[in-house]
Amino acid sequence: MRDTAGGTDVENSGGLRILVVDDEKTIRRFLKAALNSKGISVIEASDGEQGVYIALNSHPDAVILDLGLPDMDGIDIVKKIRESSVVPIIILSVRNDESDKIAALDAGADDYLTKPFNAGELLARIRTIMRRLAPRQDGPVYKTGTLEVDITQHAVTVKGKTVKLSPVEFDIIKMLVMNYGKVLTHKRILKEIWGKNEEPEDALHLLRVTISNIRNKIEPDPNRPEHILTEPGVGYRLFEE
Amino acid sequence: MENSFLNRIKGKEFIFSTLLVAFVTVIGSFFRGIIDASNFAVLFLLAVVLSALWWGMASSVFTAFFGVLAFDFFLVPPYNSFSVSDLKYIYTFVGFIITGVIVSMVASRARRQAIETKQREARTAVLYRFSNEMAECETTPQVIGAVRKNVGELLGCSTAVFMPHKDGISDAGSDADFPLDTHEYAVAQWAFSNKKPAGSGTTTLSAAKAFYVPLETSLEAVGVLGIRTADGRVIFNTSEMELVTALANQSSVAIQRAVLTEKSREMELAKKTQALQAALLNSISHDLRTPLVSITGALSALSQDFEAVDAADRKELLQTAYDDSLHLNEIVGNILDMTRVESGNLKLNVRPCDLRDLIGASLTQLKDKLEGRMVAVDIPGDLLEVPVDFSLMMRVFINLIDNAAKYSPAGSEIYIGAKTEGNMAVMTVKDSGFGIPSGDLEHIFDKFFRAVKPRQVSGTGLGLSICRGIVEAHGGKIWARNNTESGAVFFIRLPLGDAGHGGRD
Repeated sequence: MRDTAGGTDVENSGGLRILVVDDEKTIRRFLKAALNSKGISVIEASDGEQGVYIALNSHPDAVILDLGLPDMDGIDIVKKIRESSVVPIIILSVRNDESDKIAALDAGADDYLTKPFNAGELLARIRTIMRRLAPRQDGPVYKTGTLEVDITQHAVTVKGKTVKLSPVEFDIIKMLVMNYGKVLTHKRILKEIWGKNEEPEDALHLLRVTISNIRNKIEPDPNRPEHILTEPGVGYRLFEE
Repeated sequence: MENSFLNRIKGKEFIFSTLLVAFVTVIGSFFRGIIDASNFAVLFLLAVVLSALWWGMASSVFTAFFGVLAFDFFLVPPYNSFSVSDLKYIYTFVGFIITGVIVSMVASRARRQAIETKQREARTAVLYRFSNEMAECETTPQVIGAVRKNVGELLGCSTAVFMPHKDGISDAGSDADFPLDTHEYAVAQWAFSNKKPAGSGTTTLSAAKAFYVPLETSLEAVGVLGIRTADGRVIFNTSEMELVTALANQSSVAIQRAVLTEKSREMELAKKTQALQAALLNSISHDLRTPLVSITGALSALSQDFEAVDAADRKELLQTAYDDSLHLNEIVGNILDMTRVESGNLKLNVRPCDLRDLIGASLTQLKDKLEGRMVAVDIPGDLLEVPVDFSLMMRVFINLIDNAAKYSPAGSEIYIGAKTEGNMAVMTVKDSGFGIPSGDLEHIFDKFFRAVKPRQVSGTGLGLSICRGIVEAHGGKIWARNNTESGAVFFIRLPLGDAGHGGRD
């Protein structure tokens, strides 16, 4: 997770094959140009059926999927792919449709980008996903900025200072760290941490309180969080520098 | 009870007259033979006058003739016989009859006039109150309600009002006990189409359960008034009929006035909407074109002869195009928000939200724009949960904070605060910029309004009206004020609902 040199990731992502599923030709063209310039080769699909077929048969390293395809519901595409593949999926969606984003994430998508987005943002997301999947070299210790989390030792330090977290708080940090760069929906956190299958208001309240408490302990300025970011109406993500 | 029994007997006034004559005769009989019989004529004349005043012309003429007979029989010698001993009594009788008839005529006319005056007064009072009440009504349903209430009270009946609807008429309000079946509808429809009263008590379709009077003005038929008396009585008497007609006339005018007012209001609204839409299109196309011009310009320069442009200029051109495309995206976002707010079907996904989180997320989104800015955030340590739609309320804060940054000098401080006041959360966004001209304070939340530009400030003039739309959809209030020192302060007040102050667990 630690960047040794600025250029490494770009070089690391070289040789990757990414499937772009979008019905808009201009968007495919722009994505192709942006990704090719980083040495990533692009496979294009212009509809959902073709997309699912290529995703399952050509084994791309990642899928960029537009949620608004004319032939198939984006969420169904995610489900179809997830039936037999763990390939990372990044969703492209428009503003104001949180429920679609949540549904796609809960169906197994890894991340989402809101259109319009810039190439840098997209590459950063791809890089993060690739690094999460790559074999780890720095052991059970995760580091991002001033935050350090040692999974096996249950130890969290900020700027070298040890922070005391309750077991639940640590579980949430651990979950965020293990899924860094990934958006965790409220539903998923409630299920994994509290074993809830639904989202009752008291459980959501507990989640907000816990996140607020963690921020008070680990954020340099809890009013403007840098580590645990809120995805409006969707969930949380651990920001990674 | 007794009164109504007597009321039903026809010619009861003749019985009263008879009794009165008998009474006068009994009194006279006490003085029989003591005073001269012709003096009794005065007593009988009194009876005639009283009959005329109390019971009318017919009864007083009856009193005069019957009185003469009783006078002759009991009080004029020879007693208990119609024969007359002295011829002078014949003159008395004739004089009495003539006087009696004249007095009857005069007195009964006076009585009739008095009665009419009283009735007219009563009706005028009723109609006056009715028209006053009508004048206070603004909408058609209000007018119909008032018509039904008044007619129902005045006539002691249940009512229904029918209004034109498509090809026929439809019930525009009726009492629960008003008989409304297809037959009654048909009668009402007939009254409406033929502009004539129909139903019970008329010669047309008289089998109907209720009486239907068309409501018409000089212009058109505006509806039908259905009346059904409480005791099922079929026929109204003349004065009731007159009252019904008068009420129907006033109702028609009032209904037509309301209908016309509504129509003109609708037309005005349509006109206004049209004007607004035109203004919207105007403003939007201008706002969209400005960044587009620079994007197309920059890109066309590059695509025409890429090599000829030197590297630094290339970067400059691309950066311009990129910046303006972001701006374009913002405008489109604002227009979308505005459409959502305006269309009235803004779907709120209201959930308790951590206010600090909400403001934090807004600041994160504005990170680039707030580069180099001091942003002070003052939120009480306790978790402050407000029931809002997180994403929509973020739009509000993003707009306000972005505005604060736009309208204040680079590097100056922006202050964001939140606190609870009773059952409300009050949030403030304060800048130390140029402030808002005091005359504009009321208008800044209007669509397309933009305060005087201190410098090149871009925007659609939609941001604040979007904010207002969203805040009001949450049952809250948004307003602005100028700081005492410098800059503007925006306030948002939102109900805490029962989410309350979450407090720490």
